[in-house]
Amino acid sequence: MIFKTLRHEKTNEIPWVPFAGVHAGKLKGYTAEEVLTDADKLVESLLEVKRIYEPDGMPITFDLQVEAEIFGCELLWAKDNPPSVRSHPLSGEKKIPCKCEIPTPDSGRIPLILDATRRVKREIGDEVALYGLICGPFTLASHLRGSEIFMDMIKDQEYVTALVDYCAEVACKMAEYYIDAGVDVVAVVDPLVSQVSPAHIDKMLAPAFTAVFDFIRSKGVFSSFFVCGNATRQIDAMCRTNPDSISIDENVDLAKAKEITDKYNITIGGNLPLTTTMLLGNQQDNMVEVIKLIDSVKDHRNFIISPGCDMPYDTPIENTIAAGQAVKRPEQARKMVENYEAAEEDIEVEIPDYENLDKVLIEVFTLDSDTCAACTYMLKSVTDIYDEIKDIADYVEYKYTDKENIARMKKMGVNALPSIYINGEPKWESIIPSREELIRDIESALKK
Amino acid sequence: MSKEAIIQAAYDSIIECDEEKAMKALDDAKEQGISFVELLSEGFSAGIRELGERFAFGEVFLPELMACTEVMQKAVAIIEEEMEKSGQQTKKKGVMVIGTVEGDIHDIGKGIVASMVKTNGIEVHDLGREVPARVFVEKAEEYGADFIGSSALLTTTMTVQKEIEEILKKEGLKGKYKTMVGGAPVTQRWADKIGADAFCEDATEAVKTIQKWLKEMGREEGM
Repeated sequence: MIFKTLRHEKTNEIPWVPFAGVHAGKLKGYTAEEVLTDADKLVESLLEVKRIYEPDGMPITFDLQVEAEIFGCELLWAKDNPPSVRSHPLSGEKKIPCKCEIPTPDSGRIPLILDATRRVKREIGDEVALYGLICGPFTLASHLRGSEIFMDMIKDQEYVTALVDYCAEVACKMAEYYIDAGVDVVAVVDPLVSQVSPAHIDKMLAPAFTAVFDFIRSKGVFSSFFVCGNATRQIDAMCRTNPDSISIDENVDLAKAKEITDKYNITIGGNLPLTTTMLLGNQQDNMVEVIKLIDSVKDHRNFIISPGCDMPYDTPIENTIAAGQAVKRPEQARKMVENYEAAEEDIEVEIPDYENLDKVLIEVFTLDSDTCAACTYMLKSVTDIYDEIKDIADYVEYKYTDKENIARMKKMGVNALPSIYINGEPKWESIIPSREELIRDIESALKK
Repeated sequence: MSKEAIIQAAYDSIIECDEEKAMKALDDAKEQGISFVELLSEGFSAGIRELGERFAFGEVFLPELMACTEVMQKAVAIIEEEMEKSGQQTKKKGVMVIGTVEGDIHDIGKGIVASMVKTNGIEVHDLGREVPARVFVEKAEEYGADFIGSSALLTTTMTVQKEIEEILKKEGLKGKYKTMVGGAPVTQRWADKIGADAFCEDATEAVKTIQKWLKEMGREEGM
């Protein structure tokens, strides 16, 4: 579906590309640093992203510091963020690095990413478009030069052009390595483009970006231009660099931006709010936001739904599930949101007397186990062991598609779907238990 | 050259990032005995305010803002030097400590806020980046600050802004300083939640907020 969308054809559904960068690690209990430095953990996390979030496209990594690190930038690592660049080798020294310093497939963490890409491609490459993310030439130039690059743009434009051109050569090489390893889309991620004027983009950056996009196209894969921050004024200039698609952040009005990208027949992706909705909101907020986004866009051709930028590590898993569900089944989500609001009115539901039940009661709360993968797995974790536990436990599924069930969830304080409650106690929220873990929980409820 | 023309030249020098023009306006003003205070407030400061507005509206971008702020800083430094020489003290209207919070090394935005606030007559102590919550408070005490500004560019480091508020509350200093928070993921909602006095989207808003506070504090407004 991503390919069709990037070929600018009509699709039946809107593609969903959750940017689970370091957040992928959260699904398997790994830190940001672990998934960005250990191929096994990265692969395991990415396969879980595919399983739980059902994406049409997904990034391998979302780390703009890979190239900078190779050039000697010191990194500040964090357990819940990608690393940040701490030092800039060209700060105070206006020069262009030697071509001999351009990364090779063996430099820095590139082998790890290529290895992960190949393995993920083998496992799920037929079902999902893999995005290889490279650091955009302007952001790489700023990593190397530091904030002086902004003053250079006023005082020494020739130097900026030369440095950005050099960084574009790096970008082409990175793209080549990722393409050879099997990525389907190369995303040139350049958050800083939102900070400079369209005139400066045209003059100092555009030739470099165009060269990178042309190169990617010549290798037979698709390209995307990711920008973070408020790039409202830059969208037109970005389109003129000729990428296949553009991905924008939450502070840009997507519907308005799409009017511009449509003129160039470029696909646009975005722009669920990262902090207020994905990180701090609840499942309803995420569904509402997706529906709003869908409704704001008239022509659904050339349109991808994704978070505004790299998802915060701690984004609740259930929020991403709800967003994905709303992208895939907007009409059902619309109904769910309506029901949620309607359930504010008092619907009488009876809560079981958990203390005095004959058997342990397992309650599985789902968005809808017929349509949401995570919900299917959550329910399956129970049905798979049912034969073993049926003498000591019963189970029931409550789907969010029903008003009464919503009222029940509200009454019980269930706010993460899917989840498993055992005798009225929340045991598993969004994370699917293994067979052993679930049996252990049921047995311990029985002992009580 | 008329007084109006010189003041206009000072204003234009900032808008156009023209250091030569700024220096010439200073020379002309000196030659013709025009008050530097007036040249600053009517000319240079008015220029930087206009530039800030244009930045907020997306008409001016980061490189221009940084370059023009640099011209402004040079002009202000010369004016201060001249005023000291002539025995006039440039009285600061307020004192601010500012920094990027612990765990965060993104300091471009914070630097701009610091420069803009400084050129508006506030004594600014830039604590740099990766500043722990405790240090914000300690330095505010040490410098006798009125305002504490903190910048966080990551969703995970925003919590340090909350810590600052907690320390202030715990030590009974909450009313003593006005706090402002900023940074890409920071919102008004966050400021309300943690109890910060203001959320500032950009440098222009930071300056406006400080002006408003100064007025409330009964200090002169004329920036």
